[in-house]
Amino acid sequence: MPGNSSFDAIIIGGGHNGLVCANVLARKNKRVLICEARKECGGMVNNDITNYVPPVTSAVSSSIGGMQINYVPKTTIALSETGQHIRLVGNQHIDHKSISTFSSHDADRFNDFHEKMSKFSKTLGSFMMASPPRIMNNSFSDYFKLFKLGLNVRLLGKKNFNEFARMIGLNIADELEDNFENTLFQGLVAHDSVIGSNLGPRSPGSLINLLYRMAIHNNSLFGGIFQIEGGNDQFTKHLIEKCKSNNVEIKTSASVKNCIIENDCAVGVELNNGEKMYAKKIISNADPRSTYFSLLGSQNLDTDVKRKIKHHRSKGRVAKLILELDKLPSFNNCDDNDLDSRMVVAPSIDYIEETFNPSKFDKLSLEPTLEICVKKDSDQNPKLDIQVQYAPYKTHQGWENVKENYIESVIKIISKYAPNINECIERKKLLTPDDIESEYNVSGGHWHHGEIQIDQLFMMRPIPGASQYKTHLDGLFMCGAGTHPGGGLTGISGKNAAKAVLDDF
Amino acid sequence: MTQDLRYSALKKTPFHAKTSLASRTNKYYNWNGYTVPTEYSTTELEYTAARNGTSVMDLTPMGKYEIIGDHAHQFVDYLVTRDLSKMKDNTVAYIIWCNEDGKVIDDGTIFKFSSTKFMLCCAVKIYNWLNDSAYGFDVTITDVTDTIAALAIQGPTSCSTLKKFGATDLETLKPFEMREYKIDGSDILISRTGFTGDLGYELWTDPKNAETTWDNIEIAGKELKLRPFGMYALEMTRIEAGFIQTNTDFMAAEDSLRPTRMRSPYEIGMGWLVHLNKNSYFVGKKALKKEKEENTTERCLVGLDIDGDKPAHGSVIYNSKKEDIGIVTAALWSPIMKKNIALASLKRPYGIKIKENIFAEIYHPEELEYRKIWARCKVVKRQFFNPERRNKVPADLYE
Repeated sequence: MPGNSSFDAIIIGGGHNGLVCANVLARKNKRVLICEARKECGGMVNNDITNYVPPVTSAVSSSIGGMQINYVPKTTIALSETGQHIRLVGNQHIDHKSISTFSSHDADRFNDFHEKMSKFSKTLGSFMMASPPRIMNNSFSDYFKLFKLGLNVRLLGKKNFNEFARMIGLNIADELEDNFENTLFQGLVAHDSVIGSNLGPRSPGSLINLLYRMAIHNNSLFGGIFQIEGGNDQFTKHLIEKCKSNNVEIKTSASVKNCIIENDCAVGVELNNGEKMYAKKIISNADPRSTYFSLLGSQNLDTDVKRKIKHHRSKGRVAKLILELDKLPSFNNCDDNDLDSRMVVAPSIDYIEETFNPSKFDKLSLEPTLEICVKKDSDQNPKLDIQVQYAPYKTHQGWENVKENYIESVIKIISKYAPNINECIERKKLLTPDDIESEYNVSGGHWHHGEIQIDQLFMMRPIPGASQYKTHLDGLFMCGAGTHPGGGLTGISGKNAAKAVLDDF
Repeated sequence: MTQDLRYSALKKTPFHAKTSLASRTNKYYNWNGYTVPTEYSTTELEYTAARNGTSVMDLTPMGKYEIIGDHAHQFVDYLVTRDLSKMKDNTVAYIIWCNEDGKVIDDGTIFKFSSTKFMLCCAVKIYNWLNDSAYGFDVTITDVTDTIAALAIQGPTSCSTLKKFGATDLETLKPFEMREYKIDGSDILISRTGFTGDLGYELWTDPKNAETTWDNIEIAGKELKLRPFGMYALEMTRIEAGFIQTNTDFMAAEDSLRPTRMRSPYEIGMGWLVHLNKNSYFVGKKALKKEKEENTTERCLVGLDIDGDKPAHGSVIYNSKKEDIGIVTAALWSPIMKKNIALASLKRPYGIKIKENIFAEIYHPEELEYRKIWARCKVVKRQFFNPERRNKVPADLYE
C-alpha cells in the first residue's frame, strides 16, 4: 500500500447513504473523506427530486448519534375529476370513515386488507434492517438470519403463511380488484405500488413493491409519509453538519474517474483532474453499474460478474416536472389543507396500466399518472413538483424532441383538476430519467439505483456475490441504494455498509 | 457449399468431397455440427501413419474465432490465465481459460497476427463466452469456423510433405510459429502446431482452396507414407502425447451440472499456464489466487504406467487399502511406447506425494465375460511420448 494512505476510508459520492456511512465510520474514529462529483452533497435527496420521505429508523438515527429533524406528516388525496376526492391520513379510523363515504364495503375491507399487508410488511421489514445473509458463506450467523426469516414467515400462522406465499409474486391489480369496488381507491393504492418501478399494476411482482414501500413507511399504506420541516434538503444539511462535527472531510466537485487498484485490491481513487488519493477502504455510493463498469473497470471483472451487472435492471421510469407559478391555481373542490397534501392523479388501475403500456416500448403516454406536491421556492413563490410516472428512460424520437409536448400533456391533465393552471405558470422544467442520470450520475436515472424486485432483493441485491456491501474487488465496498435493502431514503444501506467496512478493518 | 438440410442436419466441411472419397468405412461423427470421419480404413493403420509418415486430418469443425480491434491484445491477455503480454506477432500459444470460480472452461490455441488481430481455436463453441467477456474492450469477435478450412498435417515426414506441396523453407519454422504462404495461387497459413505430440503442422485457408489443397497434399505425400486419419487415431496419439481433452479428462465448467465436477487448472495439470503475477486482471484470477494461497486444490491429473497389456478404460483407481482415490479418464495400450498407459484424475495427495502402491481395477471384456484385473500402477509424467524431432529446428526432412 502506498505511503500516503492518509485516510481510513474514501467514500465516492455524497448521497444520503454515503453521508450516513461516513458518520458511522467517523464515530468509530476512522478518518473519512467523501468525494462528491457535484457542487454539493445530498445526491437525489433535494428539493428538486424528492417530494416526500419516510421516517429515518431509530437504528440509523442512533448509529450517527441522533437526528434533530422535524417530520411533518402528510395526507394523501386521490384526485377525482368529479371533485369526489378521497383523503387518507394513515389512521385506521379516519381512513375508514373517509372511504365509507364512497363505499362502506370498501371501508370494511380496507381494515382487513391493511392489517394483512401491515403484518406481511413487518415480516419483510424484520429482514430488511440487517445485512442480508450470503448462502454460500457457510457462516453460522448467515444461516441464522435465513432461519429467522423462515421462522418469521412461519410464525405468521398457517393461514397467513399460505397467503404470504400466494401474494409474494402476485400483481397488485388482482388483489385490489378482489377486495375493493371503488376504482379511484384501487387506482390510488395501485399507484403507490408501482411508483418508482418498472412495473404496471398488472405486472407480476407489483405487490411486493407495495410491501417494500410499507416496510419503510411505518408498515402503513398512507401513514409514514412525511416532509421535513424547512425542506427535504434539511435531511442532507443535517447529515453534512454531522460530518463536520465528526471531522469527515468533504471534497465537492471532485468527480472520481476510477479506483486505483494495486495487487488486485482497491487502494485509492483517481479524480478526473488526475489527483490521486489513497485509503485503506474505498466505499462507493454510486449505483452498481457505475461502480462496476466505471470505478472498478470492466477489464478487472470476471465475465460472469459482467453478465450479472449487465442484467441488473436499473432503468428509471419517473420524470420530475417542476412548474414555477406566480400564484397557486385553484384545484376543484380542494381547500388549503388539501393543497398541502400529497395529491395523486391515478383514477383507476386501467388508467395506470394504459400509461404503463407505451413505456414498455420506449414510447410516451400522453396521460401519465402524477404525484403532485405544492412547495414554495426560496422567494416564497408557489411551485408544483410533480412526479410523472412511466416516462421512459429513452424515447424513440429522442427526449429533446418530445419534451415540450410531454410537458404540455402533463399540464393538460392537471387542468382537469385545476382549470386555471395555465394562467399561473411562469416557468417549466422537466427532468427525464435521462436527465437525472446525467445530472446526478445515476445509471438509468432510477430512484432506487435498481429495481426493487424479487430477483434484486436480499442476497441478490444488487447481484449475487456482492450482496454484503462488498464488491468483487477486495477493499472496495458499496453503500448506495443499489445494495440491500434498497432505495427509499432510509439510510439503512449506508449504515449497514459502514458495519461491513468496520468488520473488514 | 450449399446443401439440402432435409437430408442431413449436419454440415459438410469444405473437404467433405475428398474425405468421403477417402473413407473406406463410412464412419462419421458429429463435431460441432459438422460430419467428419472417425476412421477412414483402420485406426491402427492411421495411427501408424501418424507416428511413421504423415497423417492428414480435417480440422475445419474446430471452433475458430477472430478477435480484431484496438484492445485485441489486452482482451486476449484478460481472457486467458497465461501471461500473453509479451507474445510476439506470428506466433501461437497454448492457452486455457476459466470462469469466475477459477474452473477451466476449455483449452485451445491463440494465434497472434498483430496486436490488433488474433485468432482463437478450440474444440467447442464459445462465441457467447467470448462476446460477454469482451464487454468493455474495443474488440469485435467473429465466428470464422465456417469461413476458414483447416487441415492438420502431422507426423515425422510432415515437413517433407509440405515442402513438396510448396511450403519453401518450412523446416526453419519453429514450434508455435506461423507463416503465410502463397501456394499454387492460394493463400495458406501454416503453423507448427498440432495435437499428436510429434512434428506437425496445421494449415488454414479459404474454403474455396480446400479441395485443391487436399489433392496437392495427397500427391506431395505419396512417397512419404501419407494417410488421412480420423478421430480415433487422433485420440490414440493425443493420449500418448499427454494432451488433455475437454469433457473427457475434465468437465468444462460451463457444461458440468455438478459444481464438484468442475476443475481448476491446478487439478488438471495446467498450473504452468496460470500466471498469477500477471500485471493485469484475468478471468478467474481472484479465485485461482485464493486456491493457491489456501492450498485447496483437491485433485490432480497424472499419467499412469499400468502393469499388463489390458487398457484400463474407465477404471477406478484404488490405494493399497482399497480406498477409491480416482478414475482413469483416458487409457491406451501404446503401440509406440509398448506400454499400458492412462491419464487419471486422482485425489491429492495421491499422484503428487504418493506415486506408488496404487492400483487400477480393470474389467477386460472377453467374449461376453469380464476378466477382472487388479493392476499395479505407477504415476509418471503425463507426456508419455515426446520425441526429439517434435521441437527440432530445422525440422527433419526425408526424401
